[in-house]
Formats: sequence, structure tokens, C-alpha cells
Amino acid sequence: MQTKKERKALYALLIEHREIPLLAVLALLLVAISIRVPGYIPKSYMNVLKNGSINMVMACGMLCVLLVGSIDISITAILAFVGCVAGKLMGLGIVQATWLMFVLGVVIGAAIGAVNGVLASYGRVIAIIVTLGTSYIVRALIPMEWLMGMNKINPTDLTNDFAFFLTGNQFLGLPLLVWMAVAVTVITGVFLKYTCTGRNLYAVGSNAEAAQMRGVPINRVKVLAHVICGATAGLAGIMWLSFYNAVEKSTANGNEMFTIAACVLGGVSVTGGYGKITGVVIGAVMIALIDNAIPMLGIGNSMITEFVKGILLLFAILLNVILQRMANRRDLARRNI
Amino acid sequence: MKKVLSFFKSWEFFLICLLAVTCAIFELKDQANLAAGLAKKDVFNFVNIVRSLRPYLLYAFMTLGMMLILALGDMDISVGAIATLSVVMLAIVYRFFTQSGMNNMLAFVLSILACLVTGVLCGGVNGFLVTRFKELFPMIITLATQLFFRGFSYLLIGGETITFKDDTFALLKELNSLIDLGWVKLPVMIPIFLAFAAVFFVWLHLTSGGRKVFAIGTNPTTARYSGVQVDRIKMICYVIAGLMSAVTGIFFVGATSSSVKADIMDGYHMYAIAAAILGGFSTDGGKGSVIGAVLSLFIFGILKIGLGTLFGFPDSSVNLSVGVILILSVLIPNISQDIKNANRVRKQRAQTAMQKA
Repeated sequence: MQTKKERKALYALLIEHREIPLLAVLALLLVAISIRVPGYIPKSYMNVLKNGSINMVMACGMLCVLLVGSIDISITAILAFVGCVAGKLMGLGIVQATWLMFVLGVVIGAAIGAVNGVLASYGRVIAIIVTLGTSYIVRALIPMEWLMGMNKINPTDLTNDFAFFLTGNQFLGLPLLVWMAVAVTVITGVFLKYTCTGRNLYAVGSNAEAAQMRGVPINRVKVLAHVICGATAGLAGIMWLSFYNAVEKSTANGNEMFTIAACVLGGVSVTGGYGKITGVVIGAVMIALIDNAIPMLGIGNSMITEFVKGILLLFAILLNVILQRMANRRDLARRNI
Repeated sequence: MKKVLSFFKSWEFFLICLLAVTCAIFELKDQANLAAGLAKKDVFNFVNIVRSLRPYLLYAFMTLGMMLILALGDMDISVGAIATLSVVMLAIVYRFFTQSGMNNMLAFVLSILACLVTGVLCGGVNGFLVTRFKELFPMIITLATQLFFRGFSYLLIGGETITFKDDTFALLKELNSLIDLGWVKLPVMIPIFLAFAAVFFVWLHLTSGGRKVFAIGTNPTTARYSGVQVDRIKMICYVIAGLMSAVTGIFFVGATSSSVKADIMDGYHMYAIAAAILGGFSTDGGKGSVIGAVLSLFIFGILKIGLGTLFGFPDSSVNLSVGVILILSVLIPNISQDIKNANRVRKQRAQTAMQKA
């Protein structure tokens, strides 16, 4: 009897916390790498964190959008656009202060996100089409002559202070870049879990009609989610500029798939209404770890990371479904149906 | 009479108008250039357009496949990756057979077959996963398979570029050549594409099998209860989408001077989706027509030619217009529907008020 109860609890735990299997895979991966490459973790944890943090910031925004049952594939276009605009403004000497760059990035990103949100909610255009359209538009705006013609931002455009702001400054042994990602993650997590508006995101995603009956302004909540996503993408643009010191019009093209992948790996439901920030963190760490570690394992050629990422994503989403089905079947069996 | 009227209200008519308006604008600009002495002769005429349409029709076959998936109400992001993988397979098989001393022609035929089979298999994997795991959005499944297929092609050839210089492989280049018809030079691709489109049109609009696709897109549950084998038809559609991606890949190899890389077709699914959406298909499923999709492909092609050669706009401005058209093509019908609904409500209110009075 005791064991049966425990097993039921295990099932319930796995269903409730979909990130646990992922955590197990992550641990397995780390062990495998540590055996193969001795001393991997102390040597490269910094690189993993650094490379993952920009994706993590975007994944926070993506989580909000996925929660309301929408999706945003224009984030990397926003990243490139914001990076180019801010970099050009700095190169022309209009903006010099570092903090102003971050404000600028967030504001521009939020504005584009607001356009996405308004079109997707009030205009009733399907989110993937809106954001596909805006990603075309935003990326096309970058090299336009009348918009300063910023085809490419070079390190010479940036002030020294800004170029080393995120990587040069350290706090408790970690660069500011990582702390920024941590801050965004914590804020998003608290916002989603403990504020009324944050819970509204879940409500709209799981059942929009019911949410409306209860007086949740659906359209406004959807716009808010898109604004958050745009803002994080804009922030990621500035972070990219400060980290790599260079942005051009095709920067990060196609990376939005990895952001979505980080969310989906972390158990976020794409139909909306389910998803946790902890899962997203694990997903983002996983993607960064694969990027960093798989080449070191020395199997196949250098491009094998793509393959591993694909297999893992496929495996993770199918595992989610199979777990859910098992839980459903057990529920039915318990009620003797 | 009613049929004629309904044609004027249809999406295809709107697309024809759009095509006519863009052509008219470009023609005016062309004449203005001529009058101002900027150009020696008119550039924007039928012969020139037909001759230079080819590069913009590369993803046309992919659009035909994507069309089916959109009509089902699903979305397939992996078509670009499937095209890449099948092309990589083509290159590997061809290299293997020619190096092992086989007759070039035989190896060529075998490698083309391998390419098509790869496309069918990839489509089959998509279809299998989509029909087996109905809880998941097809978009997410194909996102995962996209990464998987792309990774697989990287796994096969890594970062190297495979180039073939022999005559047999150069046959693929013929697919991108022009036929001289005397008065117009027609790219070989256009008649092939139109033939494919005609087959799709007959199947999708005139046979019961094709109508079932739309039935599934409108309401899968109803379709199942009325005896449509939903899973089987979905499977067929995904397989066809994979096959069409492989065909696109074959054309693409010829266009890139017979060299194959593991990322040649990345991101092409977005073009295919954009063209199909403008053609009247919706991610909600259940609507759209082949004629609309073909028209929208030509609109995109002519837009690119005109903006590039006449106005001298860079490639990015073309993408800008594609984005704007994409959003507007969904937004405008929505808004007009809203206005219609509001009018009807107002009319009804007025009627009831009159009845009361």
C-alpha cells in the first residue's frame, strides 16, 4: 500500500513539475561530459552562463507570450534592429550614457511588441502571421537610408564604457551580463507568480472565455504579454551589442527557434496556460550547455550540436505528451472507467 | 449572374486587382524613366518579366506543399530543412556512386530518386508524429523536426561544400535555363510549375479527396464523424509537402551552380508561408485556393523585379513590402468583416425600433 501511494506521488510530481525529467537529462549530460572531459565544469561554466544569458532574457519574454496562447517569432529581428539603432545613435554621438542605451533598447523593443500585440489581439490576426510580418518589416528597416542606413555596427562606434559594461564589470565573481539575465528571470518569475496581472496571463491562456467572464481584459493582457516580449527582446539587443560589440542586419537570424525551444524544453505549453520560469531556466541552460559542450566531446563533426538539439527537443516534447497520457490513463483507472 | 458577382467578391479577384495595380505602377514608372531619359528602352515588359521570374519562383513548389498543410489548419516549419536534407542526400548518394565507379547517368537517376525518397520519408515522419501526438501543435512538432532534419544534414556533411563539375550533374542546371519560344524566352521552371499547380488544382478543388482536406481544416471532429479518414489524409498531405520540398531542393541545386551546403535552404519555409497566406490560405484552415497561391507567387516575383530594377530599391525594401502585405492581407478582411457585422446590427436595431414604433 505504501509503495503504491509513493508511486502515485511520483507520477503526480512528474506531471506537476514537467521540468524534473529535463533536470535529470541535464544532470546526465553534465556527468557524461565531466567523465569525457575532466574538469569541464569549473573550466567552462562561465562560458555557458555567458552564452546562455541573452537567450534566457528573450526566453522570459517568450514565456509570457506563450502563456497567453500567442507566439512571437519577431524577437531576433527586434534584437538586431534595437542593436543597430542604439549602436548607430552611440556612433553618431547622440547617446553616450550606458544606462540610456538600456532604456532606449527596452523602449524601442516594447513599442514594436505593442504593435505586434495590438494587431494580434484587437486586429484578430493570428500571432504567428503578425510577428512573421513584423520580423520582415523590422529587419528590412535596418539598412534603410532614411533611417540612418545602419548596415553594420562596429566596435569603433561604441564608447569604451559601454563596450565593457557587461563583461568587464563583475559582481560576486560573475559578469554583469549574467546578473542581468538573473534579474530579468527573477522579476519575470515574481511577476508571473505573485502579481494579479501575472496570474491573468495564465487565466487568458488556459481559457480565454472563462477569463473574460471573470472580468479579465483579454485584449489588454495579450498586448501586455507582447509588450513584455518586445521589451526583453530589445534588452537582449543591447546586451548583444555590449557583449559581442557588433551587430548587423542578419544578426541572430533564426535564433528565435532556439528561444522557443528553450521554453518548450522547459515544459511550457504552446497552447497557453501552462509554464513555469524554472522550467524555462533549465531549458535555456540546457541549450547553452549543448552549444558549449557537445563540440568538446569529439563525436562527429563540429556541427553535431544542431542534431543533438533537434533530437533533444523532439524527445522532450514527446516525453511530455506520453507522461500526460499515462497520468490520464491512471486517473481513469482509479475511477474504474 | 450570382456566380459572376461572387467572383468579384472573391479573394482571387482582389489578388488580380493587386497584380494589375502593381503592374500599372511599374509601367508608369518605366514610362517616366523613358521620358526622362534615364533609361534607353522600356525594361518593364512581358518578355523581360517572364525571363527574369525564375529566381523568385524557386520556392513555388514548396508553397504548393505548404498550401495543403495550411488548408488542414496546421503549419509545417520544417519544409526548408527537408529540402536541405534531401539535397544533401542527393549530393552524398551521387558522390558515393560516382566514386565507386558507376555510370554517371545511372548514379544521377539514383541520386534524384534518393532525394525524392528522403523528402517523402521526412514528410512521413512529420505526418506520423502529427497524427500520433494530437495534443501537440503541429507547429511545435515541425519546429522540433526542423532542428532534427537540419542537424541531420549537418551531421552528414558538416560544414563542407560539395561541388560537382561533371556534365551529368550539370543537367540540373538545365532546369533553370530558358526555352526560346521565338517571341519570349520562357524559363523551363514555369511550365513545370504550372503543370504541378494544375494537378494540385484538380485534386484539391475538383475531387472528393481534396475537398476532404478543406473539411478537415474547417472542423476535424465533424469531418471524422462524417466518415473522413482524418489521419490518413493528414499523412498524405504531409508526405506531399515533403515531396514538394525535395522537388524544390532539386531546382535549387541547379540554381546554386551545383554546389551543396548544409544550410542552403534555411529559412525558406517563411517565404512559402507568406506566399500561401497572401494566396488566401489561413493558419485557421479550411479556406484558400490554388489559383490564389499561384497569383500571389507571381505578385511577389513581380514586386521584387519591379522594386529592384525600376526603383532601385535594395532587397530589404522588398522584404518590407512583403511584411506589410502579409499583415494587411489578413487584417483587411478582418476589419471589413467587423464593419459588415456592425452594419447588420445597426440595421436590425433600426428595424426593431421601427416595429416598436
